[in-house]
Amino acid sequence: MNKHAAKVGWLLASPYLIYSAIFFLIPLFWALYLAFTNWNLISPEYETVGMQNFLDAFFSPSVRAAFWVTYKFMLMFVPIVIAGSLFLALIIHHLPRWKGLFAVGYFLPYLASGVASSIVVKGVISYNSPLNQFLRDALGWDIDWLGSPILAPLVIALMMAWKFVGYYALLFLSGLESIPKEVYEAAEIDGAVGWKRVWHVTIPMLYPSFYTVTILAVGLMFGIFTEPYVLTGGGPEYATHTWQLEIYNQAFEKLNAGYGTAVAIINSIVTFASIFVFRKVLEKWGGKHGWE
Amino acid sequence: MAGSKTWKVGLLYVLAFAVLFVMVFPYLYMVLGSLAPWNEVDRKLIPSSLTLRSYEWLFQGGEDVVPRPWLRAFFNSLLVTSASTLLMLVTAVMVGYALSKVKFKGRQWVNNAILFQMFYPSIILLIPLFLIVRYFGWYNTYWAMILPKAVNLWAIFMYTNFFRSIPDELIEAAKMDGAGHFTIIRRIVWPMSRSITTIIFLFLFMERWVELLWDMLVVNNEKMLTLNVLLAQMFGPYGGYPGPMYAASVLLTLPILILFLLFSKNFKEGMQFILK
Repeated sequence: MNKHAAKVGWLLASPYLIYSAIFFLIPLFWALYLAFTNWNLISPEYETVGMQNFLDAFFSPSVRAAFWVTYKFMLMFVPIVIAGSLFLALIIHHLPRWKGLFAVGYFLPYLASGVASSIVVKGVISYNSPLNQFLRDALGWDIDWLGSPILAPLVIALMMAWKFVGYYALLFLSGLESIPKEVYEAAEIDGAVGWKRVWHVTIPMLYPSFYTVTILAVGLMFGIFTEPYVLTGGGPEYATHTWQLEIYNQAFEKLNAGYGTAVAIINSIVTFASIFVFRKVLEKWGGKHGWE
Repeated sequence: MAGSKTWKVGLLYVLAFAVLFVMVFPYLYMVLGSLAPWNEVDRKLIPSSLTLRSYEWLFQGGEDVVPRPWLRAFFNSLLVTSASTLLMLVTAVMVGYALSKVKFKGRQWVNNAILFQMFYPSIILLIPLFLIVRYFGWYNTYWAMILPKAVNLWAIFMYTNFFRSIPDELIEAAKMDGAGHFTIIRRIVWPMSRSITTIIFLFLFMERWVELLWDMLVVNNEKMLTLNVLLAQMFGPYGGYPGPMYAASVLLTLPILILFLLFSKNFKEGMQFILK
């Protein structure tokens, strides 16, 4: 009987095991080797170069740009998406009817391909668009959206916020629904009503949702590719040059496979370290306020 | 008192609809842009009349522009996404069942391996994965887009958790009646997981549908491109033809929207299981 269970267990798990051997383990070790070579994807000859790739990456302006651009995106995207999704969740939560319907409606942007939304954004901010016409005629503002090193990343951050608010709102919504009624009743006795109640009761009670959404949003910033690839190509002047764009450019445009892999490894280390720091900070803050 | 309450609820609905409008606005803009006369695309919010010229141009080309294989790309996307999603679902159910309902030595070990892999940054694997696919001779084939995306760790994780909530007694009773594990999966476990399958399917399908980087790397033959990649490639060259670009965007977006709305009946409840 036990032997039979073992057979069935391994048999059913075999798709995962075979897949992981081919598409995870082999590339994993290959990457660790590639990162120390100067291979160019094509030539049969290449040599190991020790730490050279990592040193080059450290002093490369485009890698440094990718490093800082990620935090710039974070600074724009994370507050917008958190405020936005909390706002949407509060709306849905307080609606007496059609909660599910609005949750579905707010989720629709998540379905959009980054390519299609880039096409729309390009149109919306094109020179003669209704938006720019209005800004020029009514306010006298002539804005070159994608030519500005501040506005270009902001446009992309807003696009991504549009895509993700409805998703993150669902996380806040389950947080809201798990707050016991007694907490509100007790708060009411203490005189917390209306916005005061939202600020002093609801938001602190939502700490677990804040934690999850923040970590998800921060993690997302290390994997941006589609929007800058299509819309800005990383410009102007590296202002939207992300890690993934840098790795793609190095490995597949300039054919520096070894160097590209080294950059990917650096990217992963930076990602891990950043998320670790964010978690620690959030946990410390939560601990101070009675969450573990 | 009652009056002020109705007033507040009314305001809440106004707000809810306003937000909804913002969320669907880009979709509306896209559809209107694809149907607007060419001299009004990106110039007027509401076109003065509607025309199919952009769609005709997209499929037939114009003056000295050769049409691109948009329909073929649509078919490629459909094939690759369906095959890949189906494989991800089937393998996730199999592995999830093994990890939750079959007691075998090494189960915990496989579980840990999956968790480790889920948090492993996939970007490191990108270049060697490309090399493996090229080594297998899959460059420019559907296999390159399907097989490396045939197993999904998140889906396995979700099914494992869901199957754990199915009582063991149910499985044991079926075994008593002489049912094998495959029969149990087919007759008991699979039907019970319909609601979570819908959500997992939707997520896998839409994420596969809008994949860009991988599909762009492993295919360069125009006939093999997915719709999303073709659209991204035409972004620059068709810059002067926004109308047809909106038409192509509609072609890319509409199927996934329809699919989602069809399956979204218990979306909020299903999502809350997923997000736990």
